[in-house]
Amino acid sequence: MKTNSIGNPAGFRDILFDEARRRRTIETSLAQLFEQKGYREIAPAGVEFYDLYARGNQSIKDRAFRFLDREDHLLALRADFTPAIARIVAARLLNTEFPIRVWYCGNVFRRVELHRGLFRETTQVGAELLGNNSTQSDAEMLSLALEGITALGISDVQLHLNHAGIFKGIVDTLRLEAKALEQLTFEIDRKDTRGLAARLRQIGVSNDVAKQLDALSRCTGGEDVLFEARKVLTAEGSRRALDELVALSKTFGSWSSRVIYDLTEIDEMEYYTGIMFNFFSPKLKRELGRGGRYDDLLAEFGAPMPAVGFSFSMESLSELA
Amino acid sequence: MSEPLRFGLPKGRVFDQAIALLSSAGINISPEYLDSRRLIVPDVNGKFSFVTLKPIDILVYVESGALDAGIVGTDILRELESDVYEPLDLKIGKCKLALAAPNGAALAFDQHIRIATKYPKTAQRFFLSQNVHVQIIRLEGSVEIAPLLGLADAIVDLVETGRTLNDNGLHIIEDVHHVSSKLIINRTAMKLRAKTINHLVSQLDSAVYANP
Repeated sequence: MKTNSIGNPAGFRDILFDEARRRRTIETSLAQLFEQKGYREIAPAGVEFYDLYARGNQSIKDRAFRFLDREDHLLALRADFTPAIARIVAARLLNTEFPIRVWYCGNVFRRVELHRGLFRETTQVGAELLGNNSTQSDAEMLSLALEGITALGISDVQLHLNHAGIFKGIVDTLRLEAKALEQLTFEIDRKDTRGLAARLRQIGVSNDVAKQLDALSRCTGGEDVLFEARKVLTAEGSRRALDELVALSKTFGSWSSRVIYDLTEIDEMEYYTGIMFNFFSPKLKRELGRGGRYDDLLAEFGAPMPAVGFSFSMESLSELA
Repeated sequence: MSEPLRFGLPKGRVFDQAIALLSSAGINISPEYLDSRRLIVPDVNGKFSFVTLKPIDILVYVESGALDAGIVGTDILRELESDVYEPLDLKIGKCKLALAAPNGAALAFDQHIRIATKYPKTAQRFFLSQNVHVQIIRLEGSVEIAPLLGLADAIVDLVETGRTLNDNGLHIIEDVHHVSSKLIINRTAMKLRAKTINHLVSQLDSAVYANP
């Protein structure tokens, strides 16, 4: 292929006129809400040491665009905002008032496979609340996100909510080797209940635990799901996580009809330490955004503190707004 | 009434089994549609829209959400490391992926070995797990010819009855993994239409496992 072509490289595109204006309007509207709620903007650098992505969410690490600078440092184009914000907080904001509330909007670059119609440059807009691990801060984050989506005129948003501690609580009692844990996680992630049962027998998990995992694989729906789960879960960690979800559910007020408790979803569970969630609209076959609590990430930057956040896909929002 | 669930049926060797299974689960397509050239056909109750596609394309459609559900073999699901839910093994289209080589020739794993396959990622993973270094040659079809013409020393390919291997003077050295067709569901569809999809899963589950 000619390199002086006037087209885009595969996976990249230009955004013109109406679409650009739509995105600008969305950003302005969300920025206004975030600022009004006491969140301040951070625009992290576009290039990081690649090493940044070795900490935190591992699924992003392999997808970063890497290159060497003239001094042979291994660098990467920005592939995610959360690690950059964690770095900035650890480096520069430890002497400010806690909790720290920040928002961002910008593009990220990921080397996704192209044959599935995906883009390698996408725009994320989101917020993070660092330095507080209370139910109130979880609630604040979720209502900020729901308010933001609704302010864009998307009236049918659904919040699908889980807590990473529920599944981890069960798994911790099993003391599995890495390989067995990987196989177990694979089956649960596929949502194949028979496959899971067969795998549990193969790994040699007790009937009691198998029953709990099987019951959990059906726990998706309204608030009653939490009480169903309470009946079967015995691991201490799982019950504690469930208590947190119940406490959070009491804060939703008028949002509660938008919440679906989905205890079956374990996507990115290795990374999250508390609540984890996705936003959907029935009009779109992709998620609008996602987020969760990641209390272990800041410790990797030498500044241990709890944190929770979310990010929206600008591409999804602008299809609906 | 809600929109029909958009469902991909696999063209080729598994198609008839898929239709029979759906039928025994109470999901029927009228014969006149099956014989017609229409690309998108409803079931008799209007709850599904069926589209017949190559299995590998079904995966692309379901992953992107253009289809809600479909039937695809685990050979393709594992090769493409797909990002879909796979709630049920349908126990149809059963066969296996296997490593096969010409009769009489021992594979010397301390030598340079060339493997011809339609499944380069699966083959690479298999040999890595055995700590064997091989050179993978990707082909699109009739893989069993490659050793006969000297392109490769062995193949990794689907084996159903073993007859094609036999006829071409090849034999199985080792199984890579078992293959069967699974019900696959788009990740967002699972969230937005949980009730419909859970009902479908339990209908098919009864059909697959009630009459073993």
